Amino acid sequence: MKSEVTELLGIKYPIIQGGMAWVAEHNLAAAVSNAGGFGIIGAANAPAEWVRDEIRKAKELTDKPFGVNVMLLSQHADEVAQAVAEEGVKAVTTGAGSPEKYMKMWKEAGILVIPVVASVALARRMERVGADALVAEGMESGGHIGAQTTMTLVPQIVDAVNIPVIAAGGIADGRGFAAARMLGADAVQMGTRFIVSKESIVHEAYKERVLKARDIDSEVTGMSTGHPVRCLRNQMTREYLKLEKEGASFEELELMTLGTLRKAVVEGDVTRGTVMAGQSAGLVKQEQTCSEMIEEIMDQAKKLLKEA
Amino acid sequence: MFEKMKELIAEQLNCPAEEIKMESSFKEDLGADSLDLFELVMSLEDTYGVEIPSEELEQLTTVESVVDYLKQKGVEA
Repeated sequence: MKSEVTELLGIKYPIIQGGMAWVAEHNLAAAVSNAGGFGIIGAANAPAEWVRDEIRKAKELTDKPFGVNVMLLSQHADEVAQAVAEEGVKAVTTGAGSPEKYMKMWKEAGILVIPVVASVALARRMERVGADALVAEGMESGGHIGAQTTMTLVPQIVDAVNIPVIAAGGIADGRGFAAARMLGADAVQMGTRFIVSKESIVHEAYKERVLKARDIDSEVTGMSTGHPVRCLRNQMTREYLKLEKEGASFEELELMTLGTLRKAVVEGDVTRGTVMAGQSAGLVKQEQTCSEMIEEIMDQAKKLLKEA
Repeated sequence: MFEKMKELIAEQLNCPAEEIKMESSFKEDLGADSLDLFELVMSLEDTYGVEIPSEELEQLTTVESVVDYLKQKGVEA
């Protein structure tokens, strides 16, 4: 399926893999790109050396284009932005703010810039400063989220800008893909489904937790701190939400989650760790290869869009 | 400039204009989050015909800081 985004990124299918912290490393990114989608390495809070190394390893596993997600609030953001420009990738997606100050450097390095946005004003601003496309991310997503739903945010952003919009949040199958296209999105970004892919290095216990998740299993922690995070319900979220309700301070709450994502993804502690996943976890029922996932989504979407 | 800006801020943040003072902090006093601030900055840019780069957003924490900032940029009204 051709779209503006497939042309722009030089990929076969308009499916982009989200830049999930700890989860989106070179094996997953390369697998998604090899399957015809667009894989992304999530830099999250990692230092530049890690990102550099991951880019090099991904290049050994695929000759297809892939990207890096730069988390702008990271203390290493400046050096990561620089490393990405030096190593060279097809595109950068950015989270948690505005990447304006890196725009020139990335453009000069021939890297496409695709900010993740959760509001119309930010979308307009990003278009003005030269973004090549946007990811409009609804609050159904996992991890750090905005407050608007995909259903309402995507068409409003589509109306507000003239660059291609990639819908994210709650999309995990061909139905979600087709719906996103109906909302005016050119492509989709998915995270949660790829967590359970065969190529994903996430701990088996984490995958199992996502596969078993029901519709009501996701919680949003940190609403009161202004940094809401969607994750799957467990001992950790119960205690966190109780403390939050009791009016615990930002510092106290932050301390509680420190290192807990790593604990879940790497060590497989799904009771005390943070199991980040989107609401679409309830739709994800099977461990498959990235290629099987993408082919299945595209087949289903094409059929649905033809009938529509 | 303060009167006009008060109106603009009240409209963007949906708060009563009488609560907006020179010393009001957008985050602490007026309950704005980071997305609200982008919304506000975009409308300031439209209204006053200036460009505010996002590196400079961090210093714009209070109404007064915005007034000073715009004056520095040569905005008069």
